[in-house]
Amino acid sequence: MPNYSTDYTMSEFLSVCAAREIKDGETVFAGVGLPLMGALLAQNTHAPNSILAMECGGIGPKPKRIFLGIGDNTCVENAIFSTSLWRLFSDQQKGFFDVGMIGGAQIDKYGNLNSTVIIGDKDYYTPVSRLPGSGGANDIASSALRTIVTMPLQKRRFVEKVDYITSPGHIDRKRYGLPGGGPSAVITDKCILRFDEETGEAYLASLTAGVTVDEVRAGVSWDLKVPDKIEETEPPTVEQIELLRFLDANKIYTGNGLASMTFESYIEMLINSYERMG
Amino acid sequence: MDNMKKRSDKRMTLKEAISTFVKDGCSVAFSGMGGTQPVAPTYEIIRQQPKNLTLIGDSPCEPGDMLAGAGLLKRMEIAWCSYAVAGLGYNFRRAVEEGVPVKVEIEEYSNYTIGLRFLAGALNVPFMPTRSLLGSDLTTYNSKIIEYEDPYTHTPVALVPAANPDVGIIIASRADKRGNTQFLGFSANAENIARASKHTIIICEEIVSTDEIRKTGNLTVIPEYCVDAVVEAPFACHPWNMPYAYAYDIPFHMEFLKQNRTRDGFLKWLDEWVFALPDHEAYCRKVGWERLYTLTRIERKFCKAPY
Repeated sequence: MPNYSTDYTMSEFLSVCAAREIKDGETVFAGVGLPLMGALLAQNTHAPNSILAMECGGIGPKPKRIFLGIGDNTCVENAIFSTSLWRLFSDQQKGFFDVGMIGGAQIDKYGNLNSTVIIGDKDYYTPVSRLPGSGGANDIASSALRTIVTMPLQKRRFVEKVDYITSPGHIDRKRYGLPGGGPSAVITDKCILRFDEETGEAYLASLTAGVTVDEVRAGVSWDLKVPDKIEETEPPTVEQIELLRFLDANKIYTGNGLASMTFESYIEMLINSYERMG
Repeated sequence: MDNMKKRSDKRMTLKEAISTFVKDGCSVAFSGMGGTQPVAPTYEIIRQQPKNLTLIGDSPCEPGDMLAGAGLLKRMEIAWCSYAVAGLGYNFRRAVEEGVPVKVEIEEYSNYTIGLRFLAGALNVPFMPTRSLLGSDLTTYNSKIIEYEDPYTHTPVALVPAANPDVGIIIASRADKRGNTQFLGFSANAENIARASKHTIIICEEIVSTDEIRKTGNLTVIPEYCVDAVVEAPFACHPWNMPYAYAYDIPFHMEFLKQNRTRDGFLKWLDEWVFALPDHEAYCRKVGWERLYTLTRIERKFCKAPY
């Protein structure tokens, strides 16, 4: 039996769940944040031949410091290819990217995601809350062979109908001519959802240790499909947690490291990173 | 202004380049993606106050959020507007949600399809088909995106219109005075923005001789015949990063974004960091050359220029 950790944070747990979705040899389109920490963890453990695709045009980077953005200098550091945005996305549209990592403010039972606008009782043009927009999310949802969604399980996010479909899930993808496979997993703090191959509807696939089905239901607005037998989500191993703490030593993504950072401590972090990983 | 691409010496100051090309009512596109954001030209545009601009871009940070906050944009054709890891684009939100300081029209695409719009513009064809956007609400709220049946394979495609901005503003690693422009890092949409735009301004870390460019012609992404002006302005992306030149100054960015949360804070930032300073050189002095040099020194540890 693997040596499971008993001392980890929720952010670390989510990063580990994301890492386990990635297989060796896969090309992964990852935004920054916990999914990217997951992709890096995978690369440093069970998926050494995975390739990161960074939105700005950096393919296969192997930086000796933490990524601070999808157009950070790390995206071309020791990369196998520094190219343009349209070339990278074209490679995805052609079907070369196995996994895409996306998120959103709202998701529905078919995995349709909204990261554009909370319309509420107003309209698209003058919304209650304007979000940043698609960015590359629509393209990833359209063409990546499968997508992994990471978001916190909350009733206001897991809704019957999203206000705006930014990233299509399991709609009639064939009719719309979408080349990618759509979402394969939704990773949350309380559970992992997967999708029925026939109906495209989400079902409860595994529960975080200590979480009940009722707690999950309380975080979902629709009548969630729950199978008779549900597994417990595998906890992180000691090795995975140690590696995450090495990769994100200053807890930028797995803690609140950014808030307390000064210019001096930032430079010190980079110098330390160079010395540890160089 | 028509023959500017034929000149053998296109060097200008940033001030001259912006005042020559960025006029009231014109459309502007900026290079960069998730980093390498054109901050210095954004500040200079705010100093000069051209009105009613249209911004065309994939995921602009300062060029989208700050120009919207300064009230200079009437329209944005974009995929995303925020600041990523460091924070949110509150000016963009205020402009769309409350019309503060002015309402901005939004025409939404995705990052790839904005890239395809520049590609179509660069290819001199009217549109580009794609397999993105289909089945999403981007097509619902943007009438320029046309769902179409491909006449050859009879499969659905979405068509996006070519983009030919009046001005393309590109930040690159180095260029010669004719405008032959090289990138050491990623180039995002720069190659197509430079070709699609009526006028193209290159801002580079360093102007080098044409002989120097010829040694590594494979690094050239934009040839001189696309270019109208060449500006040498190191640190033009600060606080953002520039591959092989300087690291991301994220602590500085966090300070700005803390202030940017309120309208008052943003206006104070403009007074202190834009209007009170005559130019980008003065901005660099205010940030501190020592701080900027530290960012360069750090970057060289991780990424050394291969020439």
